Amino acid sequence: MDSVAQRLSTVGSANALELRGVTRLFGALAALVDISLTVRPGERRAVLGSNGAGKTTLFNCITGDFPPSSGTIRFFGEDVTFFPPYERIRRGLRRTYQISALFPGLTVLDNVYLAVRGVSRGRYSFIRPRRNDTLVNAAESLIQGVHLTPIKDRFVAELAYGQQRQLEIALALAGAPRFILFDEPAAGLSPTERAELVDILSSLPAHIGYIIIEHDMDVALRVVERVTMMHNGRIFKEGSPQEIEADPEVQELYLGGGHG
Amino acid sequence: MALAESRASGASRAATQPTWLQNINLAAVLVGVIVVIMPVIASSFVLTQIFGWSYMLGTIALSLTFLAGYGGMVSLAQMTIAGFAGYLVAILGVNGVPGGIGWPWWLAVPAALILSMIVGAAIGALAVRTVGIYTIMITLAIAAAFYYFTNENYAIFNGHTGIDGIPTPMFLGVDWHAPLPSYYLELGVAFLCWLAVSYVVRAPFGLALQGIRDNPRRMAALGFNVNAHRIAAYVFAAVIAALGGILLVWSYGEIAPGTVSVSAAIDILVIAVVGGIGNPIGAFIGALIYAVLKTFALDVLVAFGLDGNRFRLLIGLGFLAIVFFSPDGIIGLWARWRNRARSGSSRAQSSGGGHG
Amino acid sequence: MNQFVARRPIWSLIIAVLVIAAIWLVFAPWSSGFEAIFGRKKLFLNAVLNGITLGGLYFLVASGFTLIFGLMRNVNLAHGSIYLLGGYFGYLAVDATGSWLFGFVAAFIVAALLGVILQVAVFRRMEGQDLRQTLVTIGISIVLADLMLWGFGGNSWQIQTPTWLRGPMDLPLITAVKSSGEAVYLSYPIVRLVIFLASVVIGLGMWLVLNRTRIGMIVRAGVDDRDMLSAMGVPIQLVFVTVFAFGAGLAGMAGVVGGTFQSLSPGEDTRFLLASLIVVIVGGMGSIPGAALGAVIIGLAEQIGLAYFPTYAIVLTFLIMVLVLAVRPQGLLVER
Repeated sequence: MDSVAQRLSTVGSANALELRGVTRLFGALAALVDISLTVRPGERRAVLGSNGAGKTTLFNCITGDFPPSSGTIRFFGEDVTFFPPYERIRRGLRRTYQISALFPGLTVLDNVYLAVRGVSRGRYSFIRPRRNDTLVNAAESLIQGVHLTPIKDRFVAELAYGQQRQLEIALALAGAPRFILFDEPAAGLSPTERAELVDILSSLPAHIGYIIIEHDMDVALRVVERVTMMHNGRIFKEGSPQEIEADPEVQELYLGGGHG
Repeated sequence: MALAESRASGASRAATQPTWLQNINLAAVLVGVIVVIMPVIASSFVLTQIFGWSYMLGTIALSLTFLAGYGGMVSLAQMTIAGFAGYLVAILGVNGVPGGIGWPWWLAVPAALILSMIVGAAIGALAVRTVGIYTIMITLAIAAAFYYFTNENYAIFNGHTGIDGIPTPMFLGVDWHAPLPSYYLELGVAFLCWLAVSYVVRAPFGLALQGIRDNPRRMAALGFNVNAHRIAAYVFAAVIAALGGILLVWSYGEIAPGTVSVSAAIDILVIAVVGGIGNPIGAFIGALIYAVLKTFALDVLVAFGLDGNRFRLLIGLGFLAIVFFSPDGIIGLWARWRNRARSGSSRAQSSGGGHG
Repeated sequence: MNQFVARRPIWSLIIAVLVIAAIWLVFAPWSSGFEAIFGRKKLFLNAVLNGITLGGLYFLVASGFTLIFGLMRNVNLAHGSIYLLGGYFGYLAVDATGSWLFGFVAAFIVAALLGVILQVAVFRRMEGQDLRQTLVTIGISIVLADLMLWGFGGNSWQIQTPTWLRGPMDLPLITAVKSSGEAVYLSYPIVRLVIFLASVVIGLGMWLVLNRTRIGMIVRAGVDDRDMLSAMGVPIQLVFVTVFAFGAGLAGMAGVVGGTFQSLSPGEDTRFLLASLIVVIVGGMGSIPGAALGAVIIGLAEQIGLAYFPTYAIVLTFLIMVLVLAVRPQGLLVER
């Protein structure tokens, strides 16, 4: 499954994600203003900015929670501006949430199994999976990938915070992702957990691109090749991590004058 | 929209367990044996009035348990669908009004089931247009509207009088209206529905429904068409409710607007909640309590010197008591009692060092 | 409204055409050819007026329901029972004192008291558990329905229209034109007109209080963010109790109205609960103007249905509800 995604991702010159003139109004509040963004397949991007800059709204718009008030969104060349979320997910988009969005009434394995199921056929199947079911195996290897195998039968409601965050990542890696949106994956993690997160992000296959929203600059700048700065719903700067770090305007506005 | 925090252990096992047969415990087997040999123990009256009725009501309530407990959708329109199926069987077959299109049962029943599925889908499509608490409102409005319609309309439903003279079919040389065959028919259908629900809730369809219950937004972001899934759940529940309704109409031989009244619709909710919506068996536990109460309430009330007609008052008070003190129903009570007993005995066994 | 017309020109045109057609139908005399097809104009006028005045009654009940939901997110399915209870006690009060107006006072007090008890003893303890609260209201409706059946029996109770409101009055609406050229005017019961006027006054009063007074501002702020409100030192529980009591009291008074218009009997609680549900589904939850619009629409639908196709009347009401759910699920006057 992954190799197909690999080939699909690199074929042609289509950008993984292309936003043009995306604006989103909530009544009088302009949460996003004229956002134009291009991300190549396999590119790793960070979107940074202070609280209220519009980063999560941007993610919600890309995921499809609501359509933009104006502008277009293209995913691997396809116009998905008015697609419902499940259509985008089935085309390879994935998303994690700032506050873990899991299923507390189900076990870890159930959670990941659903993620795998969601992007496969047979969602309405009335037949329980057998012992060596492909999808169950896929779920179990995903769990292994985020080091949660010992607790795979525990209910999510009983997990520690860090474990829930790891599960959150596992859900995003299900199926054959082509592009992932990570919303503050490092929030609330201990230094060891943070190092593990950087590990997981860095060792993702090269064809999977992602955008990461983060407040933790250490994590963010280490796992991306390009940075987009947002402020008040607009993009106000783009560049390499080094450029952004050194930029005086950015330092003034966001880093509080003098970081690192 | 969780009514209770805990989920009964029966409903939650890992997806990979190959045979759920292995997990049926001793208590379940015991219950199974008892209900099968019940005709030997119980009188004909108890058989039909208490148990048969419990099976039929329990089946209808099971459809609500499925939707509410596993899908987070509390639908008050399940009795409506059951009654609709019952009316269809009366109208499509032969009835004593006199009238009926005259189809044989093996045409009327499938037709009733299919039409009930369509109606279930329509109700689901309406109910999913809004979220959460509105489902109760909308399904209640639908239930009430159907009641008033059957009451006012004479051309199709014969109005307030209803339709009587509905025969139970003979097939395989058996008169299924007689006490013994009807008991086993009702038990059989109830058992199959219980089995189906217990099995399906851990199949991809049911598991996805539980995911939608817990976090619909997340399910959409995992690739599921949440509304389509919910509607499919309504259709599945409609089949179960319809089966219960058809059994009811064969058992009574008649159907009237009273069967689909708002009180009847709410009673199904009461049955499901009192038994416990976290587990399929809860619907039948609730139904048994309801049937026993309804049958003996008159005598009990009179014995206490109260008005013998105050059955609904008892139902209401009992329901309130459950919602106040044990929202996850009798099953929840039992689970908590069992846990307390276990931890109590383990504490007695340990040397007394406490981590309580 | 200008905004509405600008944003939705087609709907505005349709609504304008419908309004003009309605005005013509009501005020212009009908030719005999027209009457041959559509029936007598008198029947139509009576249906329309019955519908509008019934809408007034529905508004009184539904506005309490929507107010309670709007502020406390509580779907009070015992609302119909409160209507009936208020009606019964209103009857007793009228019977005892001979004063129709006092019936309203008694009904309001009894219903509001019940509302206070419910809010303080029950709902406050289940704050945030929407489903559980709703289930409790269902249980309460079951209990109240049976208690009322026990106490007041299964017969219909009719509150007598007071003498000073009895009888019809002539309205400036032409039902027919006699061969002599003289116009025949519609005569219509005064009490229904008065009650409709009262509903309008009460509705306007509520709207004014909510939108133009400080206490109304507090209530509306509580709808948006109750935590903020209580953090600002506003006694939020007191606000809840007051609103619940008022909403319940309104329903109780509506019971006296219904007892005068029609009658009180077991089953009326279900009927008015259903009416409240459909009215707020159509008009929009939490919206007083929505309740007004929904009430008039549903009242009209019911009476026109009753006049022209009685055994299918409920279908019309139901279809309207379905249409609104399909096209604008949040309700006609509520923004999503």
